[in-house]
Amino acid sequence: MLQTAFNGLVTGIIIALPSLAITLLFGVLKFPNFAVGAMMTVAAYMVYAVNVQLGWPLLPATAAVAVAFGLLCIAIDHVTFRPLRDRGGITLMVASLGLGFVLENVARFAYGNAARSFAIELARPFRFFDIRMNREQMTAMVVATLAMGLMYVLLTRMPVGRAMRAVADNPSLALVRGIDSASIIRWTWFITGVLLAVGGVLIGMDRALEPPMGTSYVIAVFSAAILGGLGSPLGAFVGALLIGLVSELATLVIPPNYRIGIPLCVIALVLIFRPQGIFGQMYIRR
Amino acid sequence: MIDFIILMGTVVCFSAILALALNFQWGLGGMVNFGLAGFYALGAYSCALLMLKGGFNTFFATLGAMGIVALVCGLVALVTLRVTEEDYFAIVTLGVGEMLRLVALNEDWLTKGALGLTGIPRPLGELIPAPVYLYFMLALSLVLVAACVWVLGRLSRSPFGRVVRAVREDDVVAATLGKNVLWARVRIFAIGGALIGLAGSLHAFYFQYIDPTQFSTIVIAYAFMAVIAGGRGAHVGTVAGAAAVMLLLEGSRFAKELVPGLESDQLAAVRIIIIGIGLIMLLIYRPHGFMREYRLQVPLKDSLGQARSQPPKEAPT
Repeated sequence: MLQTAFNGLVTGIIIALPSLAITLLFGVLKFPNFAVGAMMTVAAYMVYAVNVQLGWPLLPATAAVAVAFGLLCIAIDHVTFRPLRDRGGITLMVASLGLGFVLENVARFAYGNAARSFAIELARPFRFFDIRMNREQMTAMVVATLAMGLMYVLLTRMPVGRAMRAVADNPSLALVRGIDSASIIRWTWFITGVLLAVGGVLIGMDRALEPPMGTSYVIAVFSAAILGGLGSPLGAFVGALLIGLVSELATLVIPPNYRIGIPLCVIALVLIFRPQGIFGQMYIRR
Repeated sequence: MIDFIILMGTVVCFSAILALALNFQWGLGGMVNFGLAGFYALGAYSCALLMLKGGFNTFFATLGAMGIVALVCGLVALVTLRVTEEDYFAIVTLGVGEMLRLVALNEDWLTKGALGLTGIPRPLGELIPAPVYLYFMLALSLVLVAACVWVLGRLSRSPFGRVVRAVREDDVVAATLGKNVLWARVRIFAIGGALIGLAGSLHAFYFQYIDPTQFSTIVIAYAFMAVIAGGRGAHVGTVAGAAAVMLLLEGSRFAKELVPGLESDQLAAVRIIIIGIGLIMLLIYRPHGFMREYRLQVPLKDSLGQARSQPPKEAPT
């Protein structure tokens, strides 16, 4: 029971990163990016290439790829989403679906369907009271918490973060105040890319690297963001922890194969009873 | 070769019906369905199980499959009760589709899991000799596609069709005009669901064997591509789009001979990459597809209240 709860917490903190990424992106660009899963997959494989094939240690490999992937996200936005920017949310959403197909299959084309793993030495799990925690879980907790803390500082203390929140809140007012929305969009994509790269690596460490690895998290990630309130960074974090806990604890009752049903039910319930989520605000879009 | 063409024609027909369903839900109704593959599987499995376990004949099994998928789709549409943003609904359909696929994969007692169901009967399978059956199946599929286009065409010209488009364009205005938006959405999604059930049944009849891997994301990619290429809201265009996309895709089979050393996994990946890129490029460069949606056009009247040209007529679609 306690062990399951701990595992759930780890899962939750891992999906907090992509949840934060989509919620930031939704705040600024007003569309749900369905390519998050495939983006994490591609980033994880990029880290795999640097880590295993070039022989870098995992930490510098992740850092280098995170920056590179952030830049890649800006480039992707430039060719796919920017021309569609004023076509409305549905078009952007369908385009992100197409982008997801492309990215996931680029990874499949390059590395095949077989599961792979990073070059990390195996270590004996720690025991803390009755909870068994392995090295990967500890790393995931530390890295994700650190990333969340940095994001908090960025969003509340740094000019870029404040400008991002301003654009998310009221784009025309932000424009009047002299905020350059094009550069804010680039920053948002860069941060999204970094978060997704780190998230992808953590998922790859927790499970294994295979082409559908990221996509299988998409529903959990979205349900976390919706539960917290789409567009609210704090909500994404809290929502992710809750989703992780609840879906892991639910496996005590329901068959683990149907774990994905829990986030789905959460989405349905939230949409019916509290569409704005825990921390979100009702807004009228038009 | 002739067999290959017939096979392609038949498969284009299922895909066309599937694309028509998506076109009705998304193109006309504005309800994005990312769970298409799951619903398609539900249709095929319902039809097969109604025959294998329920003992129904092919006709009633097809009707039953249509009813089941329509019911499930209608229930899913109920989540739009309070939230009317399409983004949320898309996530729900994605999740439901995934759940349906998991049920097909894991409930061995019902669906035989990854092994799949075999020995699915065919309509009039005993009466028509096997060599001619391919032709019969193609003819049946073509008739059904034509019937779907006709029914959907009538439907989109009917008062209900106007409500459907009003809900797509602006649900608040539609609600202000006294239309029941939730009920309209439930019906839109359920009608699309019935068509998905029909396509799934044909799939089961044709292959006589179904397993969960047949209902992968390529189904979704394919249907979206067909609808976007054909023009959202245009039924004939969607059928043409489905045929065009299928030609493009099946053409890529021959790429295997051109590029040696390409494995079948890689080829499958390349095909989805092509679809994905095509989808994005169409959205950017050809957002309205190649055919137009039907619009009722009323000619201008002069000061005497008489029509200047011919009486009101429908625009060619």
